[in-house]
Amino acid sequence: MTIWNPTDDGHADLSSHDSFVAGVPHNTFTRMRRESPLEWTEWKGGEGFWNVTRHKDILALNRNYALLSSAQGIRMEDQTYEEYLARRTFQETDPPEHTRVRMKVARAFSGPVIARFESQIRQLCRDILERALAKSEFDATREIARQLPMRMLGRILGLPDADLEWLVSKGDELIANTDPEFTDHVLDRMSSDEYRMMPFNSPAGAELYAYARQLMEEKNRAGDTGGILHMVLQPDESGSAISDREFRNFFCLLVAAGNDTTRYSIAAALHAMCRKPELLQQLKRADDGIWSTATDEFVRWASPTMYFRRTATEDFEMHGKEVRANQKVLLWFVSGNRDERQFDDPFNLDLRRSPNRHVAFGQGGPHVCLGIWLARLELKVLLQEFTKRVAAIEANGPHRFLRSNFIGGIKSLPVRISRA
Amino acid sequence: MPKIMWKVSDNETITAQVPVGITLMEAAVQNDVPRVLGECGGCLSCATCHVRPVGQWYDRVGEPKDLEDDMLDFTEVEREDDSRLSCQITVTEDLDGLVLVVPG
Repeated sequence: MTIWNPTDDGHADLSSHDSFVAGVPHNTFTRMRRESPLEWTEWKGGEGFWNVTRHKDILALNRNYALLSSAQGIRMEDQTYEEYLARRTFQETDPPEHTRVRMKVARAFSGPVIARFESQIRQLCRDILERALAKSEFDATREIARQLPMRMLGRILGLPDADLEWLVSKGDELIANTDPEFTDHVLDRMSSDEYRMMPFNSPAGAELYAYARQLMEEKNRAGDTGGILHMVLQPDESGSAISDREFRNFFCLLVAAGNDTTRYSIAAALHAMCRKPELLQQLKRADDGIWSTATDEFVRWASPTMYFRRTATEDFEMHGKEVRANQKVLLWFVSGNRDERQFDDPFNLDLRRSPNRHVAFGQGGPHVCLGIWLARLELKVLLQEFTKRVAAIEANGPHRFLRSNFIGGIKSLPVRISRA
Repeated sequence: MPKIMWKVSDNETITAQVPVGITLMEAAVQNDVPRVLGECGGCLSCATCHVRPVGQWYDRVGEPKDLEDDMLDFTEVEREDDSRLSCQITVTEDLDGLVLVVPG
């Protein structure tokens, strides 16, 4: 049984969020990889853009930040320079500026530091699963996948547990700003431009900023210098400190990035187990060794951040086409992760796949996911605890995808579970 | 082409002829050397291409520069005095016979 079959006609409009409500239009990406690996999309919502869909091309371009800059935005939506300055984080900068800011937080998210959180993650997973599995029928995205990432980020940032549910919902509003189920301010349907200076173009950004400021003031009064927010606020060797605006945007980035990418990797893994019961049995039977490959295979399979956009700094030619300076170029990681040229049987989920050079974390360039170690560890520990407790999982109604051409995921996954 | 060897465990060494001009990280990825991932493509963002040149080879490849030195604090296996990030070392004819330990 296949896990899921794309239904698009091979010519989906990638500029439209609606093209993704039935899942990723993989027939379109497969066609593009085969016959049109650099293809132009016209867009009535703004300037059109180039689509890069082959794994090899994504890797080659992602590292070339001199040619393809992140400093004019990383989503297809156009920004004025004023908006860019107001909303940017280090995601929207290039080296060497990017490297300078990233260094400030790299330690807190490095492999060895994250590994120390394993027992805390395991305890959070146990609590979440015991609560969810009290019922045999529930929405697995809502009750399991949605719960872990924000709670874990809250621990790392030193946030009070009582605030986490509120943060989860604000994170939804920020990044799922194109799905009316998550926000009243749907990005491509907004009539006013009142929020255009806010992070992610969303009023949730302002609320999150107010929250972060208050939190830091309280921590400063209490003399609390733990946690990574304090680390970010320290001046660097040259004495320059992060500005209020940079701090606000960085905090919003952490909330958004920590919230839904890991969530949708977990949801995709649980969905795959519903459709292909041998996956759960394989994980239950297997030795510990399987987790070193299974985790990344689930992330490849899920590819929640579907693309990042870059902007050409000069004209260049590729696959016989002319990309002009200042044109937008989208690196479709979700397509690279199904590239037949890179992966054997890419539409098959193979828990032993190795090597597995997927690009779901934006590998191959300076912006590779900062939370890569945390994401892998959360997914691994959650699935380990899940497979221990569950004998069988099956779909209990149709699942539904997020309305977004940027973040791909199953926002609702009704399941029926038998406990082990 | 220079010959490079990666000791990945006590009883496993991967040996490859490597073209001059690419980095040791790229050479490792091309030869599927375990634990040398190069996840940032050599931009000093990830510290996932940690190696240790054996013995006198460390003097031949030299010490890390500032930024590499900072990033070496974030490797998965803790750094030692002779640790390097292999994305910052370019293959030259001089490195023929180089032996690298892959920590972990």
